[in-house]
Amino acid sequence: MSTSDPTQTPIHADGSFEVHLQKSGQTLKVDPAQSILSVLQAAGHEVPFSCSQGVCGTCLTPVIAGKPDHWDMFLTPEEQEANSQMLICCSRSQTARLVLDL
Amino acid sequence: MFIKNTWYVACTEAELEALGSQPLGRTICNERMVFFKGPDGQVAAVEDFCPHRGAPLSLGKVCEGKLVCGYHGLEMGCEGRVVHMPGQRVRGFPAVKAYAVAQRYGFVWVWPGDQSKADQAQLPRFEFFDNPAWAYGGGLYHVKADYRLMIDNLMDLTHETYVHANSIGQPEIDETPCTTSVEGDQVILQRHMTGIQAPPFWQMAMSANGLDPQAKVDRWQICRFTPPSHIMIDVGVALTGHGGFDAPPEHKAYSVVVDFITPETETSHWYHWGMARQFKPHDAELTLKIREGQGKIFNEDMEMLQLQQANITRWPERKLLMLNIDSGGVQSRRIIDRFLAKEQSSETTA
Repeated sequence: MSTSDPTQTPIHADGSFEVHLQKSGQTLKVDPAQSILSVLQAAGHEVPFSCSQGVCGTCLTPVIAGKPDHWDMFLTPEEQEANSQMLICCSRSQTARLVLDL
Repeated sequence: MFIKNTWYVACTEAELEALGSQPLGRTICNERMVFFKGPDGQVAAVEDFCPHRGAPLSLGKVCEGKLVCGYHGLEMGCEGRVVHMPGQRVRGFPAVKAYAVAQRYGFVWVWPGDQSKADQAQLPRFEFFDNPAWAYGGGLYHVKADYRLMIDNLMDLTHETYVHANSIGQPEIDETPCTTSVEGDQVILQRHMTGIQAPPFWQMAMSANGLDPQAKVDRWQICRFTPPSHIMIDVGVALTGHGGFDAPPEHKAYSVVVDFITPETETSHWYHWGMARQFKPHDAELTLKIREGQGKIFNEDMEMLQLQQANITRWPERKLLMLNIDSGGVQSRRIIDRFLAKEQSSETTA
């Protein structure tokens, strides 16, 4: 795999990253001041959510590729380390691209 | 504004016992608290606010030492942290404020202010509690009046002649001047009457103590205020000519009126009143009789204070008179103000 795979390269210096939605094939940019959830909502996606602060777990989303930057208080440290799911209301990305099962 | 870095009586242990598995919601110094027994049986206090949807936790139930919210079953622990909720992971739930609580003399004491300053060593001590030589009986009134009006009331007993004309009042109180002194943080107001007829309450006490109720007596009232708002009043009568307050026990009927005054809001307070006595301490029937009498007397004060507060609220711009008989209350308020200023300045420099 080449180093140009954005799911393997670190996040951009300005803190932005992109989210690729596996099911719809759409790719969206997440700016530093935005959450993944708010970007998805702005793009017209109806995703489950509730507390918006990483507590309740309603927005738990499977991660297919890329490495999340976990900010939530819901997942256990072990679950966070597995990087197979994330709370999209508050958690971000360590890689330039995240691929989500949406 | 209230002195907050101090211990107040929140409730009696008996009140909590009587509630069974119900917690006790109580506002103290404008802080809404809920009291309950934790897993080890020790009383705990947290904010009366469920971090889930803001329901009062005091509407819930205590189950195995946890406070279960009556709305959706969130389980609050003694430290103000959520310990469990059905179907939820509670790790990230915000905590609520937990208050330092102490249990002493059958009372639950709470420290409403800065929890890092809560200090058990500052709990007041009294010789008459947990002491077989003394008996204690008391009660609790919720009074819709500024707690300082109660301090004024207790630090000026000339009102007894008028408010309590049928029990402890007598004209000699008016006619005998009182003296006020300040010793450190304590205000002492005293009045000593000599060669008088005992009023009805004290005639009863004399009879109970084997003294002739019609005999001439020396009567004393020594009111002691200590911050934040505790007032202990030495009261009694001694057969005249035996030394008054200092007379030997067989010649007097003597007790301490105990007043723990806990602010609720600016215009209401919890009044824990009682009487500790050294005569016939094992006579439980007498304890009940005195308690009933004192309850009636203090109910007369409560009625006066509540209507006084209503009047003051109606005319907020009116200045009140401070006469020579009011100096006990004036000095007590001065100490309260000094403590308030000290607390304010330590907050701003912190």
